[in-house]
Amino acid sequence: METTLSDILQDIRSIYYYAPLAIKVAIIFIIVAVSATVLAYLVMLRSRYRNYRQQRRMARMLPKIDELLMNEIIANPNIPHDVAPSKVALDLEPFDELPLHKRWGREMLTERIIHYRNNVSGTAGDLLRNLYLQLDLDKDAMRKLKSRHWNKKVEALNEFTLMDMPIADVTILPLANSRNRELRAAARQAYIKLSKNEPFKFFDSVTDPLLPWDQVELYRIITTTTDIAIPNFARWITYSSNKSVVSFCMKLVVHYNQLAAVPAIIKLLENRDHTLRAEAIEALGRLKIAEVEDRLVHLYTSQPLFCQIAILKALGRIRSGRHIDFLRNEFLHSTDFDLRKAAARAIVKNEIMAREVIDELLATTTGENLLILKHCMNPLIKY
Amino acid sequence: MNSVQEILSAFYDSAIFVYGLTLIVVYGVLAVLSIIAIRRYLNATRPSQLENLMSSPLAPGISILAPAYNEGLTIIANVRSLLTLNYPKYEIVLINDGSTDDSLEQLINEFDMVAVDFAYHEKIRSKPVRAIYKSRNQAYSNLLVIDKVNGKSKADAVNAGINAAAFDYFVCTDVDCVLHKDTLLELIKPVMQEGGKRVIAIGATLRIANSSEFDEGVMTRMRPPRALLPRFQEVEYIRSFVLGKMGWSAINCVPNVSGGLGLFDREIVIKSGGYDHKSFGEDMELLTRMCGFCEDNKIPYSVRYIPKTLCWTEGPSSLKVFGRQRTRWARGLAQLMYAHKSIFLRPRYGRLGLVVFPYNFFFELLAPVIEASGIIIYLWLGLTGNVNWPYAILLLIFVYTYAIMISTLSILWDQLSFHYYKSVKEVLSLLIMPFLEFLLYHPLITFYSLKGYLFFLTNRRSSWGNMQRQGFRKAKTTT
Repeated sequence: METTLSDILQDIRSIYYYAPLAIKVAIIFIIVAVSATVLAYLVMLRSRYRNYRQQRRMARMLPKIDELLMNEIIANPNIPHDVAPSKVALDLEPFDELPLHKRWGREMLTERIIHYRNNVSGTAGDLLRNLYLQLDLDKDAMRKLKSRHWNKKVEALNEFTLMDMPIADVTILPLANSRNRELRAAARQAYIKLSKNEPFKFFDSVTDPLLPWDQVELYRIITTTTDIAIPNFARWITYSSNKSVVSFCMKLVVHYNQLAAVPAIIKLLENRDHTLRAEAIEALGRLKIAEVEDRLVHLYTSQPLFCQIAILKALGRIRSGRHIDFLRNEFLHSTDFDLRKAAARAIVKNEIMAREVIDELLATTTGENLLILKHCMNPLIKY
Repeated sequence: MNSVQEILSAFYDSAIFVYGLTLIVVYGVLAVLSIIAIRRYLNATRPSQLENLMSSPLAPGISILAPAYNEGLTIIANVRSLLTLNYPKYEIVLINDGSTDDSLEQLINEFDMVAVDFAYHEKIRSKPVRAIYKSRNQAYSNLLVIDKVNGKSKADAVNAGINAAAFDYFVCTDVDCVLHKDTLLELIKPVMQEGGKRVIAIGATLRIANSSEFDEGVMTRMRPPRALLPRFQEVEYIRSFVLGKMGWSAINCVPNVSGGLGLFDREIVIKSGGYDHKSFGEDMELLTRMCGFCEDNKIPYSVRYIPKTLCWTEGPSSLKVFGRQRTRWARGLAQLMYAHKSIFLRPRYGRLGLVVFPYNFFFELLAPVIEASGIIIYLWLGLTGNVNWPYAILLLIFVYTYAIMISTLSILWDQLSFHYYKSVKEVLSLLIMPFLEFLLYHPLITFYSLKGYLFFLTNRRSSWGNMQRQGFRKAKTTT
């Protein structure tokens, strides 16, 4: 008698139905595990194959793209110099040999254009942007911007930012307040870089904290974009209820040495938030505002430890030499190690005015205090 | 006698089956959570972000703590490797833990170091520091060498490093580990991206370096280990880091940040008392105390993991060294569960008390005991003719196929995300391991775990043991 497949299936079915619960569960899990393992193998094979195909395409296409960009755009002697680079009608015929009817072909070219644009400036950069527009490569990014997926939107925003492509405020501002953190950050960066009206407008409305990571990116964009109108950041330091915006604006004030914003920072010394107060003290120190020293010394005793350390560091940075006695006193009598170290460092930074005090301290102090002083005086030790 | 058999059969039929099923479901959930966390990481990662941070004055400072004991053979190359890391503001604190070889002399000569008057403040207790050295060469100005009395543990050496560290965050690594050049940039990212919670520790994936190629301390070609034992460990690491830790990271329940590589919040570490030099699992013990400290003080905290491989370490290739390592780990786990039993199932400790500890207790600590006792009872029932063999085999197939699936999925997640290995052959050499693991590797792990528990229960004196390193393969030089 021959056993057919249906007989085997029938047997399995009957075993399953009459088996205890544990065995039924086991059978289900076996089927799931075997299927998932096989599927995992197939997905891995597919992924490796796609990756291999991509690598091959890149190996074939990249030299071609590079040659075209170099010969036809960057180093092309036939491009007229008397016409603005953005107005030049480029010869697009050589680019027909690229598979631009396929998405991967356009993506590869876009990537290379961005790469070259990051490494050249002036006319060549503008010509590359012109090529990007004339080949309608921006349409792909525009499609991505309308995608339902946030990561596609982020890709589009980054592309527009790198290519200096203007985007309407009405398109970008809603994204700057998106619930998705990545999208929100990318939109804010794009807005600052691309908005022709008021690039810092979102500072007015932002309610969520600007994370340190976002601040790094914003800081870079703000400080490296050449044609951006830098506002007086005192406006947000004074009126913003978002602490992270205030903190970020103080960093920008220090970067631009914006002395007009100093009164707004001084006002923060009365702020109830310890962290913000410490940041204000640090900013005043970095800006070397000597007029604020008395106020800082006056505040000192009522502050928490990290604000006290910030005050001592600020006195060291300002280097007016007017509060050497205060620093000396703190160094000698403070019970906290970090305070003594900060005071010693501040005294050493005021070396020109504090030479006598330093000599006296070297002669009279002993033990840990002497070690702290020598530590701070040693040029080999940075921190 | 029959009633005992019946009770045991009933226990293994019901309680242990539910136990096993729960573990299997947990692994399934972790697999789903981990892929979500990995996709989230990849979607939020652009190479330009790291470049921006690299040139930013807003990057927080990081101290790298690298304890070394008799690492004279490789110490110069290892320090040079650390000096080439990409980060705008960092220092290397190398702690020479009373080496008896010429490590210190080599460092002094190679990096032009001199003893300095360093204000060393002992915030965490450690063995006395003999001297602290700084380089006269400006190129090595971020290198600090601490020479201290041997404390017979890595914990003691790292504690000395924490005391001398200048920055708010420190990375703890082993001096013989090879780090990815972007390690610091990658590790600080979660700290800077987290809103609302304080990120107290971050870990990253570690890999076995045995057959990979390195040039001047930089990984140039990643390969799965050729030898069987290290290759088993490679698969275990992928499963543990890419699937396990990433899954736990998604729900903020990471139980441990590996001692090989981790970034920590220095203030929380100091307030938690630093590393415990008596612990055999000092990394896990510290993290438990840090989380406990945050819960006690109502500090909202998180512990994160990143799926990218940032560190390569030499895995033991001899059974003797491997056994010693795993026995120590198991002993450390038992020690930890006992020392912190007050956290277990206590709602006031949040996820630490209700998820991390119960999971570790039931599925990490008890698993080898249940497995070993299960095998003994299985044999006994088999010998007395009380086993339903078709069902028993079916259950065995169930566990076997599921274990293979989980390991294969972790390799898949890793492959989909990073494409680390060049050839299909290399990936296949890894994919074959889950089929053998159940039969060859897992029994070893169970055995050494039980040995570790026994050492803990009998309070047996044991030394740390020195891992006999064989060194890394050097990349072939092309002419």
